[in-house]
Amino acid sequence: MIVYSDTQTPARRPFQRELNRVERDILRMGALVETSCRLSHQALCDRNLSAAKAIPSLDKKIDRYYRQIEADCVLLMTLQAPVARDSRQLGAFMQLVRDLERIGDYAKDLAEISIKLFPYPEHNCMSRIAMMSQQAQAMLAMSLEALINLDAEVGLQMKEKDTAVDTAYDTLYQTLARQRDYQGVLEPILLLVLAIRHLERMADHATNIGRRVAYIVTGHRH
Amino acid sequence: MSFVTFILGLAVGMSFFLWLRFTVERQLRQLLASLDSSIPDDSMSLWSQLRRGIAVDRYEREDLERSVEYWQQILLDAPFGYLQVDEDNQLCWCNDKARSLLKIDRWNSGDSCLLLKLVRSYELDRAIELTRERQQPKQRDWTFHPVNANVEKPKLQDSLALRSHTFPLADGYVGVFLENRQPITDLARSRDRWLSDLTHELRTPLTSVRLVVEALQSRVEPSVKKWVDRLLEENDRLIKLVGDWLELSQLETNPSDRLNCKDLELESLVRSVWQTLEPLAQPQQINLICSIPTPCRIEADKSKLYRVFLNLLDNSLRHSPPKAAIEVEVLVPEGNRLEINIIDAGSGFSELDLPHLFERFYRGDPSRTREANSTVNGSGLGLAIVQQIVTAHGGSVVARNHPETGGAWVQIKLPIKCIHS
Repeated sequence: MIVYSDTQTPARRPFQRELNRVERDILRMGALVETSCRLSHQALCDRNLSAAKAIPSLDKKIDRYYRQIEADCVLLMTLQAPVARDSRQLGAFMQLVRDLERIGDYAKDLAEISIKLFPYPEHNCMSRIAMMSQQAQAMLAMSLEALINLDAEVGLQMKEKDTAVDTAYDTLYQTLARQRDYQGVLEPILLLVLAIRHLERMADHATNIGRRVAYIVTGHRH
Repeated sequence: MSFVTFILGLAVGMSFFLWLRFTVERQLRQLLASLDSSIPDDSMSLWSQLRRGIAVDRYEREDLERSVEYWQQILLDAPFGYLQVDEDNQLCWCNDKARSLLKIDRWNSGDSCLLLKLVRSYELDRAIELTRERQQPKQRDWTFHPVNANVEKPKLQDSLALRSHTFPLADGYVGVFLENRQPITDLARSRDRWLSDLTHELRTPLTSVRLVVEALQSRVEPSVKKWVDRLLEENDRLIKLVGDWLELSQLETNPSDRLNCKDLELESLVRSVWQTLEPLAQPQQINLICSIPTPCRIEADKSKLYRVFLNLLDNSLRHSPPKAAIEVEVLVPEGNRLEINIIDAGSGFSELDLPHLFERFYRGDPSRTREANSTVNGSGLGLAIVQQIVTAHGGSVVARNHPETGGAWVQIKLPIKCIHS
């Protein structure tokens, strides 16, 4: 019946199997980073402090995956000496987990920012920042999707999608920086500028992931 | 001469034939023995027995196939989601309900594809992995957030509260049942909101009723006075209930934001709670045994923790026999957690009540939870408040019966450092 499918090839090559395992760990790490980003969004935009407090423990897990995947990749490189696409894939994986890990770090920074921002009243830019945060999350989802399907085209499309986030950053920066007659403490404004900067960097790293996927598939640097 | 040669040849031929026949027959018998469905029947020839055996086998196989189809159909039409992964966490089968719950749209049955590629949920993956490691079934509640990879319209999609039951199968396979808990979650939320709105509305009129009754107390005739006293008492009970409920719902909506954590000393806190309860304890000659390593300092919300001890000690007091003792014991095992045990010598909790003790308005055995002369508490919210406060501090609380005293044993574990930064 259903149950034990016989479509698998009887003996998969050990290298392929190891590679699949690394890929699985990367996807797990990706799922964790996505959760982290979602929580940072809730912390920043919905003022949910318990979400902010949940992030550091997630970040520790992400870091652990990062170190483990990197070590696995190095081990596979040296022991199995892969060629062509396999070697490109391993190399790109090593770079890509670094990007993922950075996105996780930014999510953690956003959580810290939102804790500091909590005592201040909500700024009227918040809805636009929420939009930008959702765009950054969608970019991350898109890059992971490109990785899953090894889709070079999606990976390369990300560069142009990134401009949406960049534009949002520019306009928000202008609005925040060009305020006149601002009264009161400057901290909330500074924190918001930092927050949009982090979001913009998140989207950049997601774009990098897309480029690395394209490199795995085509073998050309874009 | 030629006759002798003929006979000899015939004998050799016959012996070959017989030997061959003997071997064939032996092989046939072996073959028959391996067909466990065949019934040895000496009246039939071996060949017919074999034919019959094969026919029976085929029939049985068809029967099995039919029953497999039948079970598969049952799983397909089941009102809950079901999916199954192999030893590498690749999805090998799922029903339509699971597809719609987890939004699996790019998968054809028969393909094997990493589950994480189809459903990017760390919780589900983790539950499957743990089940395989421990070879034990596992139940887990989690929220599924469908991803949206559309940068132009990055609206977050609605999340779904799910309950997964994972269980190990042979060869490292794992089966997962999925239950949609979203309607129940929505309902519980709307019920709580409804109730807290209601209590909010009740508070003001109740307070005015109390003022009026107080004013009446001194003005009515002595014969009516006891009724007015009764009215006041019952009104106070209602006010307390409403207050408890409001506190509980506030604690629940914002668990850690409502805490005002400060450094405090545990023993003096317990002693001050006991002082409040002294009027209840003295007539029964109940003693408090405090074994707390001094000084035991903890960072917590003082008034909230006071409430925890008040509710628990009050409960213990009301169920202790006269001249008994109530023990409060604090242990500081290594690590950053504190263990508080509150043990009484009463009748203990009944086994039936144990799983529901911390539910709101749950009252177990009426003889245990509410006594005729009790005026304090008894709202059915005491333990629920205890649990909410302890959880807000990042701790946990468990209730059971003490093996030695047979009475109630409530165990609280608290982090020494308050979670709230």
